[in-house]
Amino acid sequence: MSKRTLKVFISVLLVTVMIVSLFAGIQGTFTASASTKKTIEIKFFSNLPDRTSNQGKLEQMLIDSYMKANPNVKIKVEALQDEPYKQKFKVYVATNQMPDIFMVWGQPSFFLPVMKAGYAAEIKPEQIKDYGFKTSSLKDFMYNGKIYGLPRNTDFMVLYYNKGLFSKYNVKVPTTFSELLNAAKVFRKNGIAPIAINGKDKWILAILYQELVVKESGDQRLIYDAISKKSISKNQVLLKAAKDLVELVNVGGFQDAFVAADYGAANNLFAQEKAAMYYMGSWEVGMAANPNFSDSFKKNVDATYFPIISGGKGKKTDILAWHGGGYAVSASSKVKNEAMKLLLYMMHPTRWAKIGWQQGLVVPGQNWEKFMTGKETVLQKKLTQIFSSATSVSGTVWQDAFTPNFKTEAETLCQMLVAKAITPEKFLAKIEELAKLEVK
Amino acid sequence: MYKVLSDKRTILLLVLPGLLIYTFAILFPIILSVYLGMTDWSGIGRPNFVGLENFKKIIFSDTTFWKSLRNAIFLALAYVFVQHPIALTFAILIDKIGGRAEKIFRTIFFIPCVIPVVVTSRMWVSLYDPQYGLINKILDFLHLGFLKQQWLGDTKTALISVIIICMWQGFGWALLIYYAGLKGIPEELYEAAMIDGATGVKLYTKITVPLLQPVIKVNFTIAIIYALKQMETVYLTTNGGPGDASQFLANYLYIRAFNSYQYGYANAISVLFVIACLAVNILFQKIFKPENYEF
Repeated sequence: MSKRTLKVFISVLLVTVMIVSLFAGIQGTFTASASTKKTIEIKFFSNLPDRTSNQGKLEQMLIDSYMKANPNVKIKVEALQDEPYKQKFKVYVATNQMPDIFMVWGQPSFFLPVMKAGYAAEIKPEQIKDYGFKTSSLKDFMYNGKIYGLPRNTDFMVLYYNKGLFSKYNVKVPTTFSELLNAAKVFRKNGIAPIAINGKDKWILAILYQELVVKESGDQRLIYDAISKKSISKNQVLLKAAKDLVELVNVGGFQDAFVAADYGAANNLFAQEKAAMYYMGSWEVGMAANPNFSDSFKKNVDATYFPIISGGKGKKTDILAWHGGGYAVSASSKVKNEAMKLLLYMMHPTRWAKIGWQQGLVVPGQNWEKFMTGKETVLQKKLTQIFSSATSVSGTVWQDAFTPNFKTEAETLCQMLVAKAITPEKFLAKIEELAKLEVK
Repeated sequence: MYKVLSDKRTILLLVLPGLLIYTFAILFPIILSVYLGMTDWSGIGRPNFVGLENFKKIIFSDTTFWKSLRNAIFLALAYVFVQHPIALTFAILIDKIGGRAEKIFRTIFFIPCVIPVVVTSRMWVSLYDPQYGLINKILDFLHLGFLKQQWLGDTKTALISVIIICMWQGFGWALLIYYAGLKGIPEELYEAAMIDGATGVKLYTKITVPLLQPVIKVNFTIAIIYALKQMETVYLTTNGGPGDASQFLANYLYIRAFNSYQYGYANAISVLFVIACLAVNILFQKIFKPENYEF
């Protein structure tokens, strides 16, 4: 081999090596970028800021297990309390920057405008055929016969009470309204707040008013029909229920300044055993297992039906129940399929319903009785018994059954009623006026 | 250089960034608000033009709007007639005390202004609490138990309770502005007046207050605009309740926009709100006619 041939050979070899390594490099870059591209980020917007107990703990557990099973998926959670959640949600809607998966209240006052405007992605019935959702539970997550969200819980109202305080002051757990009034008087005399309630939030007052209407009438439809027909002010049952509510306020049935108390304040008052009762929904089932609460409280917490009213037609088993909270996927999400997969993963009966129930964190929206182990807390057992014995249920509560403005105004009127800023008669007249404006 | 700066195109070019920012950040949102105020937009979907319907409704049948405006006026009056005389008196006292004490008191009175509103509001909610709140406890201690109230939970006391919080929160600012104004008045004027036989109170009514007039004007204007804009404290303490007893315009607007899905209606309120602020400003310009005090 001449010197020249050797030079040419070495040059060709070097060029070849260079080209090969360059291609290898490019391919490497492609592979690397392809694997980076595979990382999918899902933005999850939740109304459960407490990630260590109750539903928030369950939500986080399922999100973590999904990320573990799918290492290429990163789920970014933003969690706010109910009211800030609603406001931020509307900001997202107005700016058209919906999170990929978000919590929704399955109520016309919240979810209907969202579904109507096409912000939520459709969920096909075949996708959830083995999920054990009853059609009734999906009703408020449907629009024009299509499903846009999945309910996570069965919500119903109960009267939580503290067994220890009732026995200490020798008070009978009330089964009638007059017993409730008497119990309130005894607790007040002893410096204990009778019923803890979050009056600043207003919605609870409207629900309590409906509870009294149902216990007075025994008719779950009465309040909805009266509003639809705009025939409210002369309805004697509605008037009596408003008077009952005022009477409960007059005997000091709630903690002092309950009108200014928010959710946390009312909940703490009960959990710190400074209130004998707590009017709240089944979503507080996790109180009995909450590590933040004292053992004494957890031992004493129990639940019962809201009392019946002597002379009223309602039974104790006529309860207010609905499927409120749930999840939906954004129709405009760039990772819609992945977000949908996550939703279906979380809501699979063996996860949200089974794990949630067995850990005492929620009362699921799907059938939970098949997951009972016998190791449930007293509260879980009592709530199951209350719900399974229900002879009638309300569905979406009255203030949520119409327009968003109806909800805001009706709730404010309820607050005015309990603050005695208006009389029961004026309250009904104002609701009628509101119905005429808002209900078509 | 003069040639460049006198060139109209150059002037336009230099002014343009500021003009653009003003147009898009201030003018455009106001115009958009006026337009949206004439729609029934819920914040979702498409707006529907309804003309002056929202404005008519607000002016002729929205009692909460008028109550909110009335409450804002109460707060403004409380600022002007209660907070400011006290702030001015304290500013004079601090100015007079001098030395290290002057700095200490100045700092103490300014502390509420540097603490976030969320913190001070929560603190006041605790102070007002009828069960464990300090206010009722003090009343008990002073054997004035009959004065105990459900401060934030009663329609009769909610508004005044909120007004007290607002006055406490803004006290430091009012005091600081008066204090700065006092520092600008030359000592010789007082000395000359004293030589002429002026006594203590007269010194302040004849020299301090007239010379502080521009400062008073600025302070009053800020206070009144602040009263009209009041939102955070109300939202964090009563959210306008019970009912609408302690409702204020900005909070009411917020509720309409974000709770009732009445974005169009809320915009109409905001337009009237801007008009109210402008009217107050013009009124103030008229009340405090410019007078030049030379010293």
